[in-house]
This record gives sequence, C-alpha cells and structure tokens, in this order.
Amino acid sequence: MKKLLGILTLLLVPALLAVPSYVFGETMQVVTKENAVRAECNFFSAVRAMVKYADTLDILSTKGDWYLVKFGDKEGCIHKSALNKTAVQLTKSEGGKHSASKDEVSLAGKGFNPQVEDAYKKKHPEMDFNLVTEIEGYTVQAEKLGEFVKVGGLTEPSGK
Amino acid sequence: MKSATMNRLISIAILASFMATGCISAVSAIPAAVKTGSAVSKAAREITPEEEYYIGRAVAAKILSMYKLLKDPDFTAYINLTGQAVAINSEMPFTFGGYHFAILDTKEINAFACPGGVIFITKGMIDLAVNEDELAAILAHEVAHITHKDGLGAIKSSRWTEALTVMGSEAAKSFTPGEVSQLLNVFEGSIDDIFKSLVTNGYSKSQEYSADESALVYMKKTGYDPSALRKVLQNLQSKTGASDGGGVFKTHPSTEDRISKVSTKLTESKVTEFFDVRTKRFSGQFSKFSK
Repeated sequence: MKKLLGILTLLLVPALLAVPSYVFGETMQVVTKENAVRAECNFFSAVRAMVKYADTLDILSTKGDWYLVKFGDKEGCIHKSALNKTAVQLTKSEGGKHSASKDEVSLAGKGFNPQVEDAYKKKHPEMDFNLVTEIEGYTVQAEKLGEFVKVGGLTEPSGK
Repeated sequence: MKSATMNRLISIAILASFMATGCISAVSAIPAAVKTGSAVSKAAREITPEEEYYIGRAVAAKILSMYKLLKDPDFTAYINLTGQAVAINSEMPFTFGGYHFAILDTKEINAFACPGGVIFITKGMIDLAVNEDELAAILAHEVAHITHKDGLGAIKSSRWTEALTVMGSEAAKSFTPGEVSQLLNVFEGSIDDIFKSLVTNGYSKSQEYSADESALVYMKKTGYDPSALRKVLQNLQSKTGASDGGGVFKTHPSTEDRISKVSTKLTESKVTEFFDVRTKRFSGQFSKFSK
C-alpha cells in the first residue's frame, strides 16, 4: 500500500502543480483590423471564423506562437501577434460572443485616430491618402501565398 | 480485487498526470504573462497598433508626395507575395493594417518601412536584386524595421507625453476642436520626426545592423538563402562606386560595414534545387517589369 501511495504521489504532485497553468476563461482582444480564426495553427489552414478589431476571444491554450481560442461557438487558432491582453473584463452575451463596449474599443483606438488623420489631410491637401488606401488594397490571399511558398520550396511556419 | 483497484488507481493517476502536463495534447498551456489581465495605463501607455497604423499612413502619404507610385499589378503582386512570405516568418506576422509592399518609380536606390506595415521599395533598389532571394533580403530588412518599431522610435518622447496629456483620462470621446488641433500638432511633429529618420538622416547604425541581423533570421526561417543579403549588399556596393552618393547612401551606414557584419553572422547554407525555381519566377516577373 505504501508503494502504491508513493507511485500516486509521484504521478499526482507534478500533475497538480501543472494544473494552474490551464486557466480557462482568459480573454484577449483582436488588435488587427480583421483576422481569421483557423482550423489548424498555421497561416494557410481553413478559416473557421473571421474576427475584427476589438473582438474578444476566449483563450483556451497556446501552441507555439498561436493561441487556441474560442469565438462564439467556433474554436480555432489565431497567431499571437493578432491579439493583445484584454484591458477590461467583458461579460458574455447570450450567444457566447463577447462584444466590446464603446469604452473598451476606444481604449485601444483613442489618440491618433481618423479624426486626427482628417485634420491632417485638410492641412496637407498635397498628400494623396487615396494612394495609401490603394496600397493597403495590395493583399495576398492565404491560398496564393501557400502556393507561392510551396512552389518556391519555402518554409511554412509551423505552430510548434 | 485489491490488485484491480490498485491498477485502476494507478491508471487514473497516470491519466491525470498526462492530462495536466499536456503530454496528451500538443497544445501547451497559457504562459503566465497572458493570464494577468492588466488595466491600460492611461498616463504612460505605449502607442497602440491602431495609432501606429494612422502614423504609418501619414508617413506613407508624405513619401508618396515625393515619389511616384509605380503601378505594375503583376510585379506588385509578386513583391507582395515575396514580402508576405518573409513577414509571416517574422516575430510579428500581423500588424493592425497588415503588410503591404509598393514600388516607387525612381532610379534612386532606397527602401522605406512606414510604421504599421507599408513598405516602399524603389525601382532602383529592385534593379540591384538578381534573384528572388536577394529581393527577399531587401524586403526582410524592411520588415525588420517594422517589427523593431524603428520608425516609431524616431518620435521625440516629449511629443507623445504631450499627446497623452491631450487625450486625458476619459476612455471614450470625440475630441473637441481644440483637442484635435493640439493632437494634430503632435501628430504632424511625429510624422516629421519619422520622415526625417526614414528619408533624410537615416536610422542609427545599430538599428541598421539589427535589421540586417533579423533579416538573416527571417530569411533562414522562410527558406531563402541568407547569404543573399550579403550578395545584394555587394551589388549595392559595386553600384555606389559610380553613384553620386544620394538615396540610400545618405540614410544607411557604410555598406562595407554592413557586409562585414552580415558576413560574421552567416553560417553555411545549402542551395537547393528550389533556388533555381525561385530565380526563374523572379526572372519571369522581372523581365516583364523592367520593360
């Protein structure tokens, strides 16, 4: 019996010490205009859900540079650079999705914002912001990038 | 019976141990830093990704008031694929507005990384690259300036302190005309600081060396030959012999020093058959582009 207790102690103590690292219910906010929650933790995996700036995601765990998250009823992976710590604890709405309050959105967005850009544009009519917007339209589809990487023998970052 | 109970207990313990230590799943636990929800410090907070984005847009607009945007859909698409392939292997694959790579129609040899992710590369700079790996080396260096936030670093600290004072402690509001005017002054000053650093004075030598070092890392992770950075710097050096010293040469440390620093960081790399595939697709795009 003593032997059994010894084995149990050896197995359970490390287990119990590891338990606190699994804290469910932590949230983080999206800090990009929009992003994708993907089925697998890589850039070219299928999209499970699209998220937008200030959306709040439940963090389930991490996998390398990726978070395994829950958004509404969808679970998937999102890269850590697309999220930041939630400034304010949010309450869950009935559908399970979080909605950021006006305050929470502005915490991240206040300061140099569209209002200031508009004032700057008026002062500098010689600057063509439409061209900048046009450049921002130069986007690369994940599928095309995946193909480019594959054909060129390049490396797809893994979620390890 | 006693033995069966013992075996069951041991099995449960083993299962609990594996579950808790994550050995069953490849998905690991949340790092401690993530667990601590922190209140945003309004008095001394950093520039947010969204603010960085608006700063970057204005810097890009200012650069575009000096240079003509070259609109070549095919080559622009190719540059963006190459740049994105490198960017996803950086420590910051996503920025608020994303990475976007654009070509400036000038023979001047230069490249500019605007805060937030818009990267300009001049036609003169593209002409230096003889293959995709060398083009990737140039783009990787610029991506590094963004991930290192070198542009934002050029903003005088007093400006940001002033901006924070204007913003005050209210979380949500539209700024009054007076506040907008004050913030506009700070914003404009910040754009000028960055522009001066990007176009006129250049980054510090340490920022340039650090960007080169990160570029080597990104390239290796992406699967490009890191020695392409040294090669493109050597191409640059051979061009500078006949150059008037304008463009990139005003804004970067000595190319010779950069080659020397990069050489010390290079490890032996194998050139695979894919190098030829990449060079072929570069040549295909470049021949159409340079016509």
